[in-house]
Amino acid sequence: MKMLYNKSLLIVLVFALFGLNGCKDFLEEDNESNFTQDNYFKTPEHAESILNSMYEGLRFVSDGAGTYGESPFMMLEFPTGTANTEVGQSIYNRNYRNLTANADDNYVNVWWTQSFESIANANLAIARIPEIEMNDSDKKRYIGEAKFMRAFHYFNLVRIFGEVPLLLEPVDANSELLYPQRSPVADVYAAIVQDLKDAEGAGLPFSDDTGRVAEGAVKSLLASVYLTMAGYPLQAGDEYYAMAADKAKEVIDNGAYYLFDDYDLLHDRDVKNTGEFIFQNNYSTGASITNPVTQLLLPRALGISQFSDEIGSIFPTREFINAHEEGDKRLEEQEFYYTQYPSIDDPNTIVEFPGIYIYKFFDEDAVLLSAQSDLNWTFLRYAEVLLTYAEAGLEAYGATPEVLSAVNAIRERADLAPYGSEITAQDIWKERFYELSFENKYWFDMARRRQVLNTETGNWEDFVGHQFTYGPTLTEKYLLFPVPQREIDNNTILTQNPGW
Amino acid sequence: MKQNFLKTMLTLVCFATFSAFQAQTTVTGTVTDTNGPIPGVNIQVQGTSTGTQTDFNGGYTIENVEGNATLIFSYVGYTKQEITVDNRSTIDVTLQEDAQALETVVVVGYGTQRKSDVTGSVSQVSNEQITELPVTNVEQSLAGKAAGVNVSSNSGRPGGNTNIRIRGNNSINAGNGPLYVVDGVIGAGPINYLNPNDIESLEVLKDASATAIYGARGANGVIIISTKRGGKGEGRVSYEAFTSVGRLTRKLDVLDAKGFLQTELNSYNNAQKYDPVGFSEGKYENPLTFRNNSQLFDSEGNPLYDTDWQEEATRTAITQSHNLSFTGGNSDQSYGLFLNYTNQEGIILESSLKRYSARFVMDNQVKDWLKVGGSITFNHVEENRVDGGQGGLTPLRMMIETLPIVPVTYPDGTYGTNANYPNMEGGENPVNLLRNKTNLIKTQTFLGNVYADFDLAEGLKLRSSIGTNIVNTQDNFYSGRTLRQQSADYEGEASVANTRENYWQFENYLTYKKEFNENHSIEALGGLSWQQYDYAYSYAGARGFSDDFYEYRNLGVGSNPLTPDSDTQKWALNSYFGRFNYNLMSKYLFTVTGRLDGSSRFGQANKRAFFPSAAFAWRVSEEDFLKDNKTISNLKFRTSYGETGNTEIGVYQSLASLSTSVAILGGQRAPGVGIGTLANPDLKWEKTAQFDAGVEFDMFNKRIGIEADVYYKKTTDLLLQAPVPSSSGYTSIYKNVGSLENKGLEISLNTTNIQTEDFMWTTSFNISLNKNEILALGEADDDIFPGPFFLSNTNILRVGESVGSFYGLIREGTWGSDEAAEAAQYNLLPGDIKHTDVNGDGEINSADRVIIGNGNADGFGALFNTFTYKNFDLTLDLQFSFGNDILNLSRHSGEDRTGQANSYATVLNGWTPDNQDTNIAQNRPSKAYYTTTIDSRMVEDGSFIRGRNLIVGYNFGGDILEKYNLSRLRVYASLQNFFLSTDYTGYDPEVSTYDDSFSQGISFFDYPKSESLTLGVNLTF
Repeated sequence: MKMLYNKSLLIVLVFALFGLNGCKDFLEEDNESNFTQDNYFKTPEHAESILNSMYEGLRFVSDGAGTYGESPFMMLEFPTGTANTEVGQSIYNRNYRNLTANADDNYVNVWWTQSFESIANANLAIARIPEIEMNDSDKKRYIGEAKFMRAFHYFNLVRIFGEVPLLLEPVDANSELLYPQRSPVADVYAAIVQDLKDAEGAGLPFSDDTGRVAEGAVKSLLASVYLTMAGYPLQAGDEYYAMAADKAKEVIDNGAYYLFDDYDLLHDRDVKNTGEFIFQNNYSTGASITNPVTQLLLPRALGISQFSDEIGSIFPTREFINAHEEGDKRLEEQEFYYTQYPSIDDPNTIVEFPGIYIYKFFDEDAVLLSAQSDLNWTFLRYAEVLLTYAEAGLEAYGATPEVLSAVNAIRERADLAPYGSEITAQDIWKERFYELSFENKYWFDMARRRQVLNTETGNWEDFVGHQFTYGPTLTEKYLLFPVPQREIDNNTILTQNPGW
Repeated sequence: MKQNFLKTMLTLVCFATFSAFQAQTTVTGTVTDTNGPIPGVNIQVQGTSTGTQTDFNGGYTIENVEGNATLIFSYVGYTKQEITVDNRSTIDVTLQEDAQALETVVVVGYGTQRKSDVTGSVSQVSNEQITELPVTNVEQSLAGKAAGVNVSSNSGRPGGNTNIRIRGNNSINAGNGPLYVVDGVIGAGPINYLNPNDIESLEVLKDASATAIYGARGANGVIIISTKRGGKGEGRVSYEAFTSVGRLTRKLDVLDAKGFLQTELNSYNNAQKYDPVGFSEGKYENPLTFRNNSQLFDSEGNPLYDTDWQEEATRTAITQSHNLSFTGGNSDQSYGLFLNYTNQEGIILESSLKRYSARFVMDNQVKDWLKVGGSITFNHVEENRVDGGQGGLTPLRMMIETLPIVPVTYPDGTYGTNANYPNMEGGENPVNLLRNKTNLIKTQTFLGNVYADFDLAEGLKLRSSIGTNIVNTQDNFYSGRTLRQQSADYEGEASVANTRENYWQFENYLTYKKEFNENHSIEALGGLSWQQYDYAYSYAGARGFSDDFYEYRNLGVGSNPLTPDSDTQKWALNSYFGRFNYNLMSKYLFTVTGRLDGSSRFGQANKRAFFPSAAFAWRVSEEDFLKDNKTISNLKFRTSYGETGNTEIGVYQSLASLSTSVAILGGQRAPGVGIGTLANPDLKWEKTAQFDAGVEFDMFNKRIGIEADVYYKKTTDLLLQAPVPSSSGYTSIYKNVGSLENKGLEISLNTTNIQTEDFMWTTSFNISLNKNEILALGEADDDIFPGPFFLSNTNILRVGESVGSFYGLIREGTWGSDEAAEAAQYNLLPGDIKHTDVNGDGEINSADRVIIGNGNADGFGALFNTFTYKNFDLTLDLQFSFGNDILNLSRHSGEDRTGQANSYATVLNGWTPDNQDTNIAQNRPSKAYYTTTIDSRMVEDGSFIRGRNLIVGYNFGGDILEKYNLSRLRVYASLQNFFLSTDYTGYDPEVSTYDDSFSQGISFFDYPKSESLTLGVNLTF
């Protein structure tokens, strides 16, 4: 019995010792599948990876965002009064089309959260890349790209929401900036301009056919920013027209970008990130990262494609089409729009559409063969730079030959007669309206000019009070979108935009 | 031996006759107690395999007895008697009730206690109660068996989808399911794959006194499962089997061919009203022009087919289950081997679950101071799941929405589909989907626990045990090349996902028991525990197959590989626990429990927490003034208070983990790393404090027994995935904010209504009421929308309300012709759905949403009646629930819209100028505007009474048993789910098609339940 006691005591002792020794590291937590902020930012590859996360962060704009054929880019198209939808249950699209949206709307939430997520990544990159041991010029380049990204998203946010929190450094749980106030619009623009200026001097190549940010994209965006600053709500002064025109001119003079001869190239998979395309959202079917836009824009359930579902999310109103000039090539079948297509089951049967649909983003390979589209979505293209130059240049320098040649390059491609010195600002606005239709430009133009084209009279009229052809009337509230209610709920010091 | 074994097998298969042994002496007699004869007493000839049981008159006959043999008479609750035969041929025996043995023993954490000594609230469910209902799933067998335990069998699919809540919902993000402890293995699972037949007893620990010993993991209640152990004495072979036939008996009312075509025409006729512009542009075609398609219509335009898709997609499902066990041993050792094969067909085509399981147990007294033993279980489960892809065009949805005018297959063998008819959403024919889409989930579970008990001194024992639970899951998926809206666009999609979960625990504890004198006794327990879990996941997939032949079995031939994925996770717990019981004069019982837990999941500063509890019970019936009372046989009051915790949040939430993503640059994948988790180094434990008061009251020699409990639980430091301003780049952070409470009442009543020599009628009734209220949510008490998201947030957490509240608009009906002007203010027309403008701002939008229902029951329970007449028995099992609402989301696509797929027959009651008193909108093509949103029309009362089970059984008596040398033979027939009384219009009010914490009652095309008939046999020899 005594021996038994000894034995048992030994056992107990062993357990006790194990208990004391074992528990020190036992409860330490160590994530082996992901880095943490503490153990990251050590190598040049880390800098590249965080930049990549920002390229991924652009995708939300043209990805799907709802169950019913919705995508965030459409939020900026429906309140222009030029679009319609065939998706009966698409509440978000209908609310903006009918101007019955509210702050609970999912679209604004997606724009807000996704843009700020990329801004947070940019802030982290800008704060932490300097501590990485690497080649100084690469470091500068990466930081330049990150600053472009930050400016890109703030430029969207300030135009969509007006005053927004201006966060330029990383935020953590104990940071006061976790609950920021909205910053004045002027401060946001100042930060955008500063970031873009920094990016201009970051040593980026002028163009880049892989889809990375290039100096040409920085300058094109900066031209757009200046043009917007010249208009509402900032009205920063006429010198901004000159600055916009000058910046656009730098892109034009460089010669790296040019207008495609053929509109087909605007939706050709072989010319991504080159030629007319300055900055794009990149997709690849090979990597199974695909673009839904072609499918979303097909006329609903007419059996013209390999897609199981042809959605009919958005198509132009007849009045929008009718507002074009006689002979505009862009209206010809299968240029920017189309009205018929062969049946997928029987190519000899032509399916006539009950309306006019957008052909600009039509991926023929996907429609006829693969049902997988990797067409890029375009944020900035050369036609916009030309029109920015024309619009700003006319304000700053008058109808100079350079101004006329910029706008006429667009018109000539559309088989329209060139403008002479009699050209007015409104003529250029219209050219932008036709050329950049459904590319997320027109609503921003409407808001900065506070002028909307009456598609029935052909005249420009005030934003506030403009009646859409199908009934609803724009009020002052629609000069901005609502701050997401969810964000106000979580940060009660935020205010809502007027009228929302 | 070999021969014997062969014989055994033969018996199993065809009940072959045993040849009787040569008789020497035959003994007969009657066994009685003070009340009369006792049926079912075991009589064993010592040292042999010979034995029998008394019949209903207490009589017995036993043959082949040596004249000097000893007979052992034993019966549960009575003192065992050993009587030497002494060449007598008649031996009558009177058994004495054994007060000690009569006591039920209940399993508590790290030990057992006599029921009378328990100070906490513990419900026991016995093996008999579990296997009463021949189910294949442990969770479902629990339903109605214990007060306070709400078991919702939310799906009819094999394997089920069961939601268990003990005393309500305590948490928002950290999980609300109970902790399972199987043979000492904490957190064992997946529990629904355990063989119910293996279970000896199941204890539900409900109050803090009972659960605090599991501290950090005990807040949602604990279910302790003890599996069957080996035998003592002679070897036994037991075979139990059942086979059942189930079918769909409750079909939903959908449009038939005539109704569909009529609705389509009605819709077209209203198109101009709702979309004048589109109509004038020719967007709508007269459907009469579609009816010349000779594939679908005859020359007169009448439909060729009128398919009942619910009939076509379902089948008569056959289930069989076989259990075979071998047990035996002697006074020092016992062993048991338990085998199971179950093959369950689902009533939806192709759905099935097969389980193969084997379990081995052994307990061995190696030395007088050392006992070792353990159990090892291996399960292999193969489930073909057909209801994946919730929310999409699943077979369950398509069996409602596929057009009746389309056939399953055309004469040439091709599948019919909605796409064969103009303007339809292209969901696939459900039969095609079921046959050409596979989701085969193979799960292998290893559950083992071995122990060594050391007797260190009088009353002092040390147990050391190692347990492990390994779960390997392979999820194989293939969706065929032709399935529209599934995988046709990718030319087939296949994937294989492997998950390996590995859990181990190492526990050591000392117990000490001492009786100082008849007035004082103590029992003490102290121990320590380590637990660790790791998880690894990998995924590979591909699209673009040249042939359906490969399915998921050769991903390499897919032309388009999907992004591979892998992940690992790990957590650890280290705990110290103790319990002290003090018994004063058998009248006053005190229990103090504590557990100190350390978890890797929490912030550096808060890794450890202590969870104490205390309880007191007063056995009033032991007091002098009641001791000899003839009416009251037992009266005990007990009360407890304590704290338990909850750690079930994701791992690494206190770290600033980065997340990964993939960009495309230069046409190539460019992996990105960006912000992920907003770190909270202060993250700590969620705590639930619970007060419980109960009474146990037995009268008339236990003919009437009542147990009742009231409780109040308050959970604080709720682990909330609290929303943060997304300007930070993050949307939420795990934080300890908020609190909620549950209060409730549980009553169980057991009565023996009639007890005569031949006839017995017993009743068991229980009812539980629970009320939940959210007390605080974060700093600003903002509403939280925990999901699921369907059209909008379906579910809201709001201070002052119960969890599980549905959130939406109020549907008043439809706008009438005389309300045209008012409707126009909302851009609507007479015939459109009329919602209440709650805030009166002239717009109907999400700001008008209110709480429109709640998925949790106010109360639930069960009523069991058992009648025994001679060898026959009959059990009637009724279950009920009241106050639970259903949010029937399928009305969104089945009723709110027409002309895109088939609809519920309710659309025939759509608004017309002559039928304005309706809450169904006027029929119109879905392309024209229509209103659909989460609203009160989707909310239905889900209260129900269910006839869950009706069983008739017959126990063969002594003659037959003797003749075939059996110790037990029972046959039974059972009718399950034989009636359902409810106002709910869907398949079944016990439903949830989502996995979110508060999705109980939220349904979007659920897997229906079957009514089934089962035949079974239990045989032991």
